[in-house]
Formats: sequence, structure tokens, C-alpha cells
Amino acid sequence: MNLQIESLTHKFSSGKPPRTALSDFSLSVDSGQFVALIGTSGCGKTTLLRLVGDLLQPTHGSLTLDGQKPAEVRKSHGIAWMAQSPALLPWLTARQNVALAQQFIPVNGHPRLSVDGILERVGLSDVGNAHPFTLSGGMQQRLALGRLLAMDARLWLMDEPFAALDEITRERLTAELLELWQPLHPTVLWVTHNIYEALRLADRVVVFTPSPGRVAADVTISLPRPRREDDPRFQEILSRLRSALAYPSVGQVTS
Amino acid sequence: MNGSRKSGWIALAIVLVFFSVWEAAVRFFEVPVYILPAPSRALATLIANPNLYLEATALTLGESLAGLGIGVLAGGLLAVLLIMLPGLEGGVMTLAILMKSTPLVAIAPLLTIWLGFGVVPKIVITALMTFFPVLVNVLSGLQRVDPALTDLFHSWNASRWEVFRHLRLPTALPFVFAALKISAPLAMIGAVVAEWTGASGGLGRTMWLAYTNLNLPYLFAAIFILAAAGMLLFRLLAWLERKVVFWLPANREN
Repeated sequence: MNLQIESLTHKFSSGKPPRTALSDFSLSVDSGQFVALIGTSGCGKTTLLRLVGDLLQPTHGSLTLDGQKPAEVRKSHGIAWMAQSPALLPWLTARQNVALAQQFIPVNGHPRLSVDGILERVGLSDVGNAHPFTLSGGMQQRLALGRLLAMDARLWLMDEPFAALDEITRERLTAELLELWQPLHPTVLWVTHNIYEALRLADRVVVFTPSPGRVAADVTISLPRPRREDDPRFQEILSRLRSALAYPSVGQVTS
Repeated sequence: MNGSRKSGWIALAIVLVFFSVWEAAVRFFEVPVYILPAPSRALATLIANPNLYLEATALTLGESLAGLGIGVLAGGLLAVLLIMLPGLEGGVMTLAILMKSTPLVAIAPLLTIWLGFGVVPKIVITALMTFFPVLVNVLSGLQRVDPALTDLFHSWNASRWEVFRHLRLPTALPFVFAALKISAPLAMIGAVVAEWTGASGGLGRTMWLAYTNLNLPYLFAAIFILAAAGMLLFRLLAWLERKVVFWLPANREN
């Protein structure tokens, strides 16, 4: 699913003082691209994600997904959403949590993934009947990932999904996420404030200016995965991203 | 398991100490029975009149539970209605608070005049008393939905009814139990107060008769039954709560 954003502005007028989260923001994303959105807190990256996911309506500008409005795509179940909190239903078992998500998805001719198949893919086959509160934080996020797969969507919107996890679990889940993403190849918008995570995952890193958010740098990463930190090219892109974050200037495009 | 058994023994010990001190004080200070009877005397009265107390308890308990049922149903349904039509919340809540602030002791005799000495006015009073805590608790429970989950259901394009069934209702369940635990003892009080103002039977009627005759052992026997019934009801609800809303941190095993 491709994404076209033109001169998007979003103002939160109810706040005191009113705040402009995004100002004249433009971005074009090709179908199947994994894009990391990175910037300091409050730079509008989550706002952008919520606008794409039809959780907010833009004040000005246009935003289309395969030429359609976000609301239309959401209603046809083309968008899968995942946030920092695993947002599992505590009264349902792991299996029921995945099954509930699937219940909302119409069968579009092609067979659905089975719930057990999904649990196996995210490594939770043994705990299908367990309730979320008996699972570790990492397992809970894996279950949320399983639920994301169950959506069978062409666009994944992910708002710092692993930010609350410890560093070791986070790295392992990042690798697992890539394995899940590669065969399906949906378009991914991944909000993060972790440069290393962005570099390990994304085809492209979009750096935001501080509030109101604009594109400070747009860096394409063509390194093959899995990426190694001791690779000199990794280090080179890393320092470029660092300087873009430290001294943001609008409209710098590099590759 | 071990911990709850231990706390059960502690509770029993505290109750026993309370009654022993009471018993000892009445005997030591030779308190006249028309001022304060010893608990043993009240208990003896209870055992000597099993049918009288059994009938009165059955009637009062029946009225309480019927009123509680109606109050819970009405409060719960109104809370659901206010969630579906949020514009009504301000007006309805003002009316509910006005109703709640009216002393029921003042309304109870009126209801007896309007509806007679039968069970109906008792059930009405009990329902009025239990309605408000249920409304307030269930309403706040239905509103206490995790925003992250609301986002998720929105991304699934879930209808209002689906959000209600799969998200709001289970989220509100713990609040329903909190409301029940407050309302159940209130229901007993409601029925007794209503009986006190005029009734053909029930524990309230028994207490009123005993009070006007200064027959305090009779009065205290009825009080003991009420206290025990209220506590049993509360314990039953607490047990049910642990089974039903098992996902709350306080109810998890281990």
C-alpha cells in the first residue's frame, strides 16, 4: 500500500496553549517500504501515525493510501495498529485474543491464517490457553504481534511497540519482527526514538524536526539485513542520522 | 489459600473477643436487660423462637434481594443508556443525586401510605437505596476503558455494540462487583427501615415490636441476624468476584 501525504498540518486547538503538531508535512512512501519515523518527544510522529490510521482528522492537507482516504482503508480492514502498550484483553486467553481480532476481519476469498498457526509463528504455541497477565512483557508484545498478523493488513502502523521492553528482549523481538515482515511485505510506519532500532529495521528513516514536525532528513538505507553495527556503512549512516537529529534543518534529503 | 485461612481465623478471634468483652461487661456491671442485654441472652431468645425469626428473616431477605435485583438492573441499564446517549448524563445524574440526597426515612412512611403494609413499599425503598451506587459505579466502570484498547477497536472498525460487548462490559464488571458489595448491605438496611415504618412482618417489624415493649433481647436477636446475613452476603459476593473478575491483580492466584 503506497502512502501520499501532501502539505499536512495538524493543530490541537483544544489544548492550552493550542499546539501545532505537524506543519506543512509532505511524505511519499512506496508500497512495501519499511519506514522508521524518528524524532524527539512531541515532534508529531505519533500524531502523523494517528492521522494515517484514521484515529485523528487532519486540520489541512491531503493524505491518501492507494488513492483512498484513511477512513475507507480502515473500514476495509487495510490497517493494522500496534502501540507501546500491548493492549491485550486480560479476560481472554492468548488464543482468544488473536481470535477476537480475526473475528472483525471479513474473509476476502483467500483462507485466513489459523489462530494456532499465528501463535506458532510468534512462538506462543505452548501458552495459547494462558491469560495475558501470566505472560512476560516480551511474550505479551509477541501476542500483540500475533494479533497484528491476524489482521492480514497491507499497512502496519506501529507506535514504539517495543519501547517498554528491556534491551535484550527488544533486540530479539526486533529480529523476529523482520522475519514476520519479510514474507508478507506490508508497508510499515514505525515510530521510534531509538536510532539503532531504526537502523536495524527500516528501508528508510524519516527524521522529524522538533515541534511542529516537518521532515528534517530522509535517509534511504540499502544495507542488507541482518545489519551489523560493526559494518562501517552502518556507522556512517548512524552518524548522519545523529547530526540530522542534533541540527535539524527542513528538507535535507540524502540516500 | 494459607493466608486467607489465617485471616479467617483472625477475624473469628476478633469477633469472639468482642462478644466476650460485651458479655463480661454486662455481667460485671450488672447492666439491666432493658438497657443492654448480654449477647448470650439475645442468642437464647433467638434459639427459643426459631420459627418467628426464620419467617421474619425469610421475608426481610426476600424483600432485600428483590429490591437489590431491581435496583441493580435499573442502575445498570441506566448506566448503559447514559453511555449510549452521553448528552443525557448531566441531567440524569442531577436527578439521581437529588433522589439520593432525599432522606429515605422521610419517604418510607409515605410509600407505606401509598402502597400499603405489604412487601411492595419495602421492595421500592430497597431498590431506591441500591440504585444509586450501582448507577455511579457501573457508569464510571463503563467509561474507564483503556484508550489504547479504544484505538485498537477503532482500527478493527468495530461497531458501538461490539465495543460495548467485547470491551466496555468486561471493563465494567469489577465495578459491578464493587457496587454490589456496597449495595447488598444497604438493601438489608432499606428493607428493615421500610418495615419499621409499618409492616405486617419481617425483621424490622420484629425489632419495632421489641423496641416499643423494651424487650431488648428480642431486638438484639434480630440485629444479630441482620449483621450475620449482611456479612454472609458480602462474603458470597467477594467470593463470586474473585471467580468472575479473575484478571484483576488482587484476584490472581499466586
